[in-house]
Amino acid sequence: MDLVTSVFPWITNGPLIAVQVMSGLSVAMFLFLVSVGMSLIFGVTRIVNLAHGAFYMVGAYLMVTLVEVLPEHMLSFWIALLVAPLGVAALGGLVEIGLLRRIYHRDPLMQLILTFGLILVIGTLVLLVWGPDNKSVARPDALAGSVRIFGQPFPSYYLLVLALAPVVAIGLWLIFYRTRWGTLIRAATVDRDMLGALGVNVAALYTQVFVFGSWLAGVGGALSAPTVAVALGMDGDVLTTAFVVVVIGGLGSFAGSFISALLVGQLQSFGILIFPAISIVLLFAIMAVVLIVRPWGLLGHPEE
Amino acid sequence: MNVARWVGALAAMIIMPLVLPSFVVVVLTEIAIVALFATAFNLLMGYGGMVSFGHAAYFALGAYAAALVVKRGELPMLLGLAAAPVLAAVGALLFGFFIVRLTHTYFAMLSLAFAQIVFTVVFKWTALTGGDNGILNVWPPLWLKSPRAYCYFTLAVAGSAIVAIHAIVNSPFGYALKAIRDNPRRARFIGVNVRRHQLIAFVLSGAFSGLAGGLFAFFNGSVFPDFAFLNKSFEPLVVALLGGVQSFFGPLAGAFGFKILETVIARQWPMYWPLFLGSVVIVVIILLPQGFVGLVERRRWRSRATGR
Repeated sequence: MDLVTSVFPWITNGPLIAVQVMSGLSVAMFLFLVSVGMSLIFGVTRIVNLAHGAFYMVGAYLMVTLVEVLPEHMLSFWIALLVAPLGVAALGGLVEIGLLRRIYHRDPLMQLILTFGLILVIGTLVLLVWGPDNKSVARPDALAGSVRIFGQPFPSYYLLVLALAPVVAIGLWLIFYRTRWGTLIRAATVDRDMLGALGVNVAALYTQVFVFGSWLAGVGGALSAPTVAVALGMDGDVLTTAFVVVVIGGLGSFAGSFISALLVGQLQSFGILIFPAISIVLLFAIMAVVLIVRPWGLLGHPEE
Repeated sequence: MNVARWVGALAAMIIMPLVLPSFVVVVLTEIAIVALFATAFNLLMGYGGMVSFGHAAYFALGAYAAALVVKRGELPMLLGLAAAPVLAAVGALLFGFFIVRLTHTYFAMLSLAFAQIVFTVVFKWTALTGGDNGILNVWPPLWLKSPRAYCYFTLAVAGSAIVAIHAIVNSPFGYALKAIRDNPRRARFIGVNVRRHQLIAFVLSGAFSGLAGGLFAFFNGSVFPDFAFLNKSFEPLVVALLGGVQSFFGPLAGAFGFKILETVIARQWPMYWPLFLGSVVIVVIILLPQGFVGLVERRRWRSRATGR
């Protein structure tokens, strides 16, 4: 125990640990929003959308612009939070209809490369529209300060994020398991051809799912805008972490993304305390282990 | 490729650096390095059917091996260059052992994950690698200092390596690799050890990529963590794709196209370069699945067919 406390002096600091757990949970929320969209898109269309991080970034930048443009009012932050993801959803629709629809029948690797190309295109367009400087979004007045939790300061905005997490998770669960649309999505994940044979318009379903997944990425980006510096490199960071989450949880698995986001959120939160220099290596090492031992992820299904 | 063409290529390599202005000679050197990197990459993608999203890892391992041997070890440049493929091969063996166990999308993802690990280690291990500042002043010795001399040197090394890769893909090993690409199950059925062949191909590809990295280190005069980053992994992919992965010389042609475009566009409008690159990739994938060389070959094949 002496050794442990000397290496990790914070281990006996209960309040610090509690706050760390909570901040890990709010990180998990962002990760979940992004990765569940990515996973959903993969489940139905079989495309790993590498541009998903770029969609998230566009969500954050749209938030920046909307908060600037909208007149100062109590509600404008919330209106921006509603509108920004819709913009990302529209972008997703454009990409799906204009590009991806033409390559569904092609080699999955070509699809991967195409979405990689999209990263470059979207990244440059964002640079041209918003310029190279970092942007920030002010938190709404009501949530600008911080609260004390066990004597430790904790930003109140993160409380909003934490409160939204169960709402989003339950909302998605209801959509997937209690609506006809959700049933179609789950059916498409299992057997798309059969679904098409049964008379479902699979092409339309693909577009809807892609738009919905992009919208989720947009929500994540818009929601995270007040917590980070909105910068050009953020798409890569988000992509790599979301990618790890999706792979650990299992591509195409809703519950897998949820559990894996919780895991990775805590890992990031505590990784910074334990191995500050190599927390990202730790993340990828865990992903590598999962891929080696169980390539289809914790809750995914083996490739047929 | 018949003898006359090989001789022609050799003659072109000897004459070009002599007659071209030194600015173009520098570009030519870079083309040779990119061509080697892309051809090594295509040994996996075109012949093995394995697409790595993390080949920058082996390029960077080679570059850093060369730089470390010369700067930290204070050994001659040729030893540094020799260390490049060795370290890259060791890395490729270590990572490839796990990567070749997976297929398709998962193969691509695990290779990306390992490349990210290499990037982070290089970036964070400041004591050895200099971190973000990289390793500077990695220049070749005096006899290779002039652009023209280094161009000849690069053409000789990269050229021999590409010839070696050509020999590999046309050897029984290369045919076994193609059989695995086309139908792994059937290949296993006729007694080919699929994983071992894939791993050997991975290590060979990694080693040649490392050699390209080593050549680039001395060309560039410095090495940076960026060499292991995602964008670098994307480079051989784009080059091979532009040229066409179905043909051995596709990546070579792609390297010319890629570097010339980069020199023209990235110099003039550096901001638009990624936009351009991304758009080209998207257009090529949607409209020209065989790459530009594929386009030419298809035309030729068509004209031959109609000629008869």
